[in-house]
This record gives sequence, structure tokens and C-alpha cells, in this order.
Amino acid sequence: MKYAKVYFDDVEIGTELPPLVKAPIQQIQLTRYAGASGDFNPIHQDDEFARAAGMGGVFAHGMLSMGFVAQALTDWAGPSTVRKLGVRFTGLVRLKDVVTCRGRVLGKSSKDELNLVDLEVWAENQRGEKVVTGRATLALPAKE
Amino acid sequence: MPAHVNKTVLGKEYPPYTVTVERGKIKEFARAIGDLNPFYLDDSVGQASCWGDVIAPPTFPVTFRSESGDSAALLRDLGVDISRVLHGEQEFEIHRPIVPGETFVCRTRVVDIYEKSGRTGPMAFVVREIAVTDRTNEIVATMRQVTVVRL
Repeated sequence: MKYAKVYFDDVEIGTELPPLVKAPIQQIQLTRYAGASGDFNPIHQDDEFARAAGMGGVFAHGMLSMGFVAQALTDWAGPSTVRKLGVRFTGLVRLKDVVTCRGRVLGKSSKDELNLVDLEVWAENQRGEKVVTGRATLALPAKE
Repeated sequence: MPAHVNKTVLGKEYPPYTVTVERGKIKEFARAIGDLNPFYLDDSVGQASCWGDVIAPPTFPVTFRSESGDSAALLRDLGVDISRVLHGEQEFEIHRPIVPGETFVCRTRVVDIYEKSGRTGPMAFVVREIAVTDRTNEIVATMRQVTVVRL
């Protein structure tokens, strides 16, 4: 929270996160994410396997998109501000898709000297279809 | 033939396992996401910070895996092939920053199993909670993950 980029006081209900537009998804990123996360499900690597599984081809780890959403939050609010992040994976992210992460402040509360901001967050593809929807709670500093 | 999930897995607690947070793993994870935040990647920025080191991105605890307590073990217990599962939901509660060199204990429990019919047919939902605690038994993070099995 010490390196927060926004003050609790300056956040209002309805405040929107600056959209985070990620680079088009490439197979190499899914391979890197598999190695980094330890999730080697071939459904994210092997197109034949993914087709045989009835998924119509390779798609990205949901956790990669969740990582993008977390980045959108910390890019805006600063490192170590995220207290809670919960999402549902609502659509598949395919190779070449461009994922954009967005969010909007739903509420503010203060308790035990913690100033918390609740947001709705989501990620969408280049067609505006939501692939991740969820909620986040951030702890932000108050002005002296 | 439709798949079935072994519902007796409900309530199962997996053997606790320990993980030690590696500096390189934090950076590899941040780079794989394309999140080039210097607080994750730059040792000098980390050392000068109030945490004294780089910290892990919010979703990093998903890397805390073990042979005995991770998804492969769960799928074996459920009697389900990996080609039938999807990640349905994921939640993190983060109680404090995570820095390299720390050793944590992870405890996984299956807290719910239910079935529903979706657009693509019947599905089972398996909900796990993973509690991550430090050496003083303080909670560091809690993960809740929903695995969807296409039946």
C-alpha cells in the first residue's frame, strides 16, 4: 500500500480503471505460462488434443487472463494493493485474441484503519465478449 | 458414455505440502503474464522498497503445487480425465505480500461438489480451498478454485 498510486479519497463510485490492452495471444505465451505456473494441461498446448477434447482447438489458461486482470489493478493502484480477487471464466481466449481488462468502482468502506475499494472487473476479447468477470477488493491509502 | 465424478471426494483434505518461494519463479511468472512491474522484476527496486525484496504478483500462489495435493491428484480421485475439465472460477484472498525465500505450508480441501446443466450439457463443479500459511502459522493467502467437469 506504501507505493499506491491512487488515494482512497480520490476514488469515487463509478471510477473506471484505465483499460489494459494486452498483446495478441500467441502459442509461445501459453507455453511460457504453462512453465511459469506449472499448469501443463495439453489443452493449452496441443491443438489436436484440444480438438479431440471437443474444445475446437487450443485456448489460453484462464489463469493467464486472471493475471492480466490483476495487472490492470496493480498498474492503476500500485503493487500489493490487491486484497481479494475472484473471477469466473466466462469465455475461451483463443490464439490471436486481444484481451482488454477493465474495471469500475462499486463501493468504498473503511474499517480497522483499512480503506477498502470494491470493484467489478472484467476482461473482454476484441469482439467485446466477456471472457472473465469478477470482483476485486483493493486497500488504498488515505490522505493525511 | 457420460463421465461421472466420485462424490466421496467431498470433504477430503489432501496432505499438507510445503513450498519455498523462488526469486526466479516470481520473475518467470510475471514475465509470462507480460506484467513487467519493477516491484516484481527489479531486485534493486525490491531491496529499496518497504518489503526489502521483490514481491510476487497477486495470482502467484497458483504456482504452489505438489504431486500429492494438486489437480492431478484431484482428477485421479474424481476418476476424471484431464481432457474433460475446465477452470470455472478462481478466487484469491491475499493477506500480505510474498517475497523470495519464504517457505509456506499449503492445505487443500474439497469443500463442495455439485452438478448443473450448462449450455453444453451436464457438468460437475468441484470446489477446492487452499490455505497458505507461513512458519508462524499466520495465513498468507487463501485460494478457492472451481473445476468444471464436462460429464
